[in-house]
Amino acid sequence: MDPKAAAMLAAGIAMGIGAIGPGIGIGNLVGKALEGIARQPEAAGQIQTVMFIGIAFTEAIALYALVVAFMLIFVA
Amino acid sequence: MHVLEHFYLEVIVPIEVFGIDLSITNLTLSMFAAAAIFLILLIILAIKPKVTPGKRQIVIELLLTFIKRNIVYNMIGKKEGKNWIPFISGIFVFVLANNLIGLIPGAYTPTLNPMVPITLALIVFVIVQITNLRKHGIKGLVRTLAPSSVPSWMYVIVVPIETISMISKPFSLFVRLMANMLAGHTIIIVLYGLILYFKSYFIAIPIVPFALIMNLFELFVSAIQAYIFAILSAMYIGEAVKPKH
Repeated sequence: MDPKAAAMLAAGIAMGIGAIGPGIGIGNLVGKALEGIARQPEAAGQIQTVMFIGIAFTEAIALYALVVAFMLIFVA
Repeated sequence: MHVLEHFYLEVIVPIEVFGIDLSITNLTLSMFAAAAIFLILLIILAIKPKVTPGKRQIVIELLLTFIKRNIVYNMIGKKEGKNWIPFISGIFVFVLANNLIGLIPGAYTPTLNPMVPITLALIVFVIVQITNLRKHGIKGLVRTLAPSSVPSWMYVIVVPIETISMISKPFSLFVRLMANMLAGHTIIIVLYGLILYFKSYFIAIPIVPFALIMNLFELFVSAIQAYIFAILSAMYIGEAVKPKH
């Protein structure tokens, strides 16, 4: 296989597989936060703050995959 | 047309001082514009403060109270947090201004280039280490790397892990901001690029509304990323300020 084509293919696969985990993670996280807010609406502000921090940490994993994909396309 | 067209720098005014390239590029122009617009806006909003706030003053009071309550007091604590409000609000407003200026067509997003988030993350990293040293001395730094709650034979494993986690904090701060901005703007460019790629105006009928929705989403992402950058900086500072055990 042509190395450039292999790098392109690898970039697509890296982004696709890399997005699975964070997708599941963010879904779980927001679902649980929603449950918490429904149970205790007065704690909504605090739960939201922690939820956003959690989303930021989880989302970063997908973004690492994105950076790797960009590197595969433009550097390799 | 290239997919990462919006990523590359163009030199507008070449300046070189002692062999160091200090040229004014489209990045610096956009950054100056963002800083100037927000500075003028904030000055207009905050001029002549009254005890009972008017329409203008209520906006800036809302912003500052949000930063004070939700970010600083929440993460650092009420007693220590007072000194950190200017720094955290400075970071928040600067990142927000730089994220938002990129949504104007033709402007460069400064936070999309790796150099700007790297500088911001390094500033936060250095400030966290200096605060740790000033609050707890050398012992504080040692206790961060080797917590006393761990049995001494475990230090072989714990010290490298803690060192890696210390270095990865600013790194993840930088990658998060840069990749979020790069991804959002690339998606908008790819969407509009489809019109040129298919060479047909009919493709614009579904593309333009979708790109508009993505633009609105980018507005939301810009605000969220500024919030997250500020709140994570506050969290790292809060860890350094709190007493070690």
